[in-house]
Amino acid sequence: MAVFRWGHSWDAFHDLEREVDRLLQSVNMTFQGLRFSRQYPPVNLYELPEEYLIMAEVPGVRPEDLELTVAGGVLGMKGRCVEPEGTSEERFRRQERPRGVWQRSISIPDRVNVDNLSAEFTNGMLKIHLPKAEAAVPRQIPVAFGS
Amino acid sequence: MSSEIARTNPTPPPPPVERMVFTPPIDIYETDDGLLLRADLPGVSLDTLELQVQDNKLTLFGRMQPSIPEGARLLHQEFETGDFLRSFILSDEVAHERISAKLNHGVLEVLLPKAPKAEPRRIEVRTN
Repeated sequence: MAVFRWGHSWDAFHDLEREVDRLLQSVNMTFQGLRFSRQYPPVNLYELPEEYLIMAEVPGVRPEDLELTVAGGVLGMKGRCVEPEGTSEERFRRQERPRGVWQRSISIPDRVNVDNLSAEFTNGMLKIHLPKAEAAVPRQIPVAFGS
Repeated sequence: MSSEIARTNPTPPPPPVERMVFTPPIDIYETDDGLLLRADLPGVSLDTLELQVQDNKLTLFGRMQPSIPEGARLLHQEFETGDFLRSFILSDEVAHERISAKLNHGVLEVLLPKAPKAEPRRIEVRTN
């Protein structure tokens, strides 16, 4: 009986190679995180012609635990990472996911129409639409040609 | 002259964009029926998630697909889009055929039920 199979041993080698690559990548990410003193949740900010878009990674938050506020040019996000109920610490074999209550504030520019903010929550991603105020949307100015 | 050179050496097409691969954070804890695994996979939907068991290895692969409109300009970035990949070696105490999973608000929950312990069986010994 063949105990050792070549095919499998190479597969394992490739797996290891990939694992090392990934490890290096994650170390890189950690350095980045330290440099920018990472906050939770991580957000990306995009600009579109008519609006700004904030995307935040908030997996595991129930929509009813999510709280969005806007006051004085500051957008407040608040939520809670749900913990399994009635689970004692010693039952965990591994605990890596962030847990507990989180809060983050982001100042928004004056050029945003705060009365028309809207947000969607899909697949653990929070997407906040910040429509630009009228004045910030580029307007065509007709130029008259003098004769 | 320079335009001549540019024409004879067309710029090569841009290389395909390489996606980053992340190791998602997980929790594993014991329940009365077995083990429960939770993985944070923000931006992954049912269509872009693959979960498979081969031999005794459980592999999860998820593709993050946030809905960013065309032409959006990135002003500030704290996370990158990519793929989630992680695999686990299952112990013999897991009943492989009864593994179940669900995806809720970007969290994958995999239930790994405990296999029933083999009952000791008495073997009758006979003599000729």
